[in-house]
Amino acid sequence: MLKRIEDWNYYELLSVERTASPDEIWAGYQAALSTYKDGSLALYGLVSEAERGLILERVQEAFQTLRDPDKRKEYDLALLRHAPYFPPKAAFRKSVGKLEIEEAPARKTLWTRLKRLFVKNP
Amino acid sequence: MDKRIWAIGGGKGGTGKSFVAANLGLHLASLDREVVLIDADLGAPNLHTFLGIKPSHPDLGDFLTGRVPSLADAAVATSVRNLRLIKGTENILFVANIAHFRKLRLLRQIRQLPTPNVILDLGTGSSFNTLDFFLSANPGVVVTTPDPTSIENTYLFLKSCIMRVLKLYMDHYKIRELHQKMLDQIEKNSQSLYSFFKSLMETDRSYGTILYRALRGFRPCLVMNKSRGEDDDLLGRSMADVARKYLLIDMKYLGAIPYDEDVQESLRAIRPYYPQHRDSAAARAIRQMSEELAYSIEFTLRTPPEIRLPDA
Repeated sequence: MLKRIEDWNYYELLSVERTASPDEIWAGYQAALSTYKDGSLALYGLVSEAERGLILERVQEAFQTLRDPDKRKEYDLALLRHAPYFPPKAAFRKSVGKLEIEEAPARKTLWTRLKRLFVKNP
Repeated sequence: MDKRIWAIGGGKGGTGKSFVAANLGLHLASLDREVVLIDADLGAPNLHTFLGIKPSHPDLGDFLTGRVPSLADAAVATSVRNLRLIKGTENILFVANIAHFRKLRLLRQIRQLPTPNVILDLGTGSSFNTLDFFLSANPGVVVTTPDPTSIENTYLFLKSCIMRVLKLYMDHYKIRELHQKMLDQIEKNSQSLYSFFKSLMETDRSYGTILYRALRGFRPCLVMNKSRGEDDDLLGRSMADVARKYLLIDMKYLGAIPYDEDVQESLRAIRPYYPQHRDSAAARAIRQMSEELAYSIEFTLRTPPEIRLPDA
C-alpha cells in the first residue's frame, strides 16, 4: 500500500507479520536497528540524518510496545479497528515435478508421539 | 518449459556483474540446462574473459550490423557443454550508441531465442539502453558491494529504473504532461516518490492507480557481492527493506556472495572460476542464488511490467 513513513504501523516498521512470535519480533527489531543505526550504510544517499533519527525513535517505540503482551494486545485491537488483517498464504516452493509446502512442520506419527511418552532417551 | 531471461545489472562498475552472470551461467549449464549468456555491456564488454575465451567473431556487433541474420547465429559454443555465449563487440563506438530501432530488434530477438535460459550481462550506469534491457528481464538482478559508492549508485540505478517504467507507461497512456511533473518532484528527497504518487492520487486517481500498479510490477532482486561477513549480509537485507519502504518497489534479497581472492586469481589466469572452485563459499552462494532464481514459483509467476517501447 502507498504509505508515508509516519503511517507505517509497528509491524511494518519491524518488517514482521502481525502473527509474529516474540522471537521474530526480536529479530525484526535487531534488523531494523542495524538499518537505522547511526552511520548506517543502508540509507546512504537516500535518507537524511534527521529522518533516520525519527524512524529510529519509532522503531524503539514499536519494540517496546510489541515485546509487552498486554500492550501488544491493546495495539493489535486498535490496529484491527483501523484495518482488517489477512494472514499471508503458505509459501509454496516448486521442486522437481511436484509442489510442496515449504514451511510445513515435520509430520508427527503416532509412533514418535508414543516414543516420546514411553522412552526416556529416544 | 517456460523461458527465463535474467539480467544482471547495477549502478556501479566493478561490483561483479559479469562475474555473477558468468558463474550463474556456468552453474546452470552444469545442471544440464541450456544457457545462452549475452554480453549486453555495450560500452565495455568483457564477459568472454570471465569464461576464459578470447574475443572472436561472430559477436553481438555482427548481429546488429546484419552480418549474421539472427541473434541465435551470433551465439558461439564454449568449452562448457550446454553453455553458449554471444560476445560483446570490439566495435564499441558503433554499438554503445545503438539506435532505437536496433535496440528493439535486439530485445525482440532475445525474447525469441530458442534457449530456455538467457542471462544478460549489462553495463554500468543508467542509460536508456541499459535500463530497457534490465526491465525486459524477469527478474532483473542488481549487484552491489558493501561500499558507500556502490550503495549510492544502486539506489540511483533503482530510481532511474522506476522513472523509466513510469515514463514508458506515461508515453503509452499519452499522459506526457505528467512526465515533467515527475522529473520536477522525484529526486529531491527520500519521500519524493511517495509525495509524487500522493499528489497524483489526489488530482487523478485513475492514472495514479495505473502508474502505481506499474511500479509494483517492477520487482528486481538484490545481490550483495564481495561480502566480508555477517554485517554485509545484513546490509544487503537492510537495503532491500529500505528500497521496499522508500522506493515503494517489491525488492527481493537473494543473498551475499563472500569475497574470494581466488576470483582474481582465476581472472588473471583467464580461466572460469566456478568449475575449479565448486566447494568455495562464493560458489555455494551462487548455487543457492540460482536455485532461488530458478525454482522459486514466485518468479515463474512474476511477470515483468507490461512495457511496450514506443516505435519512435
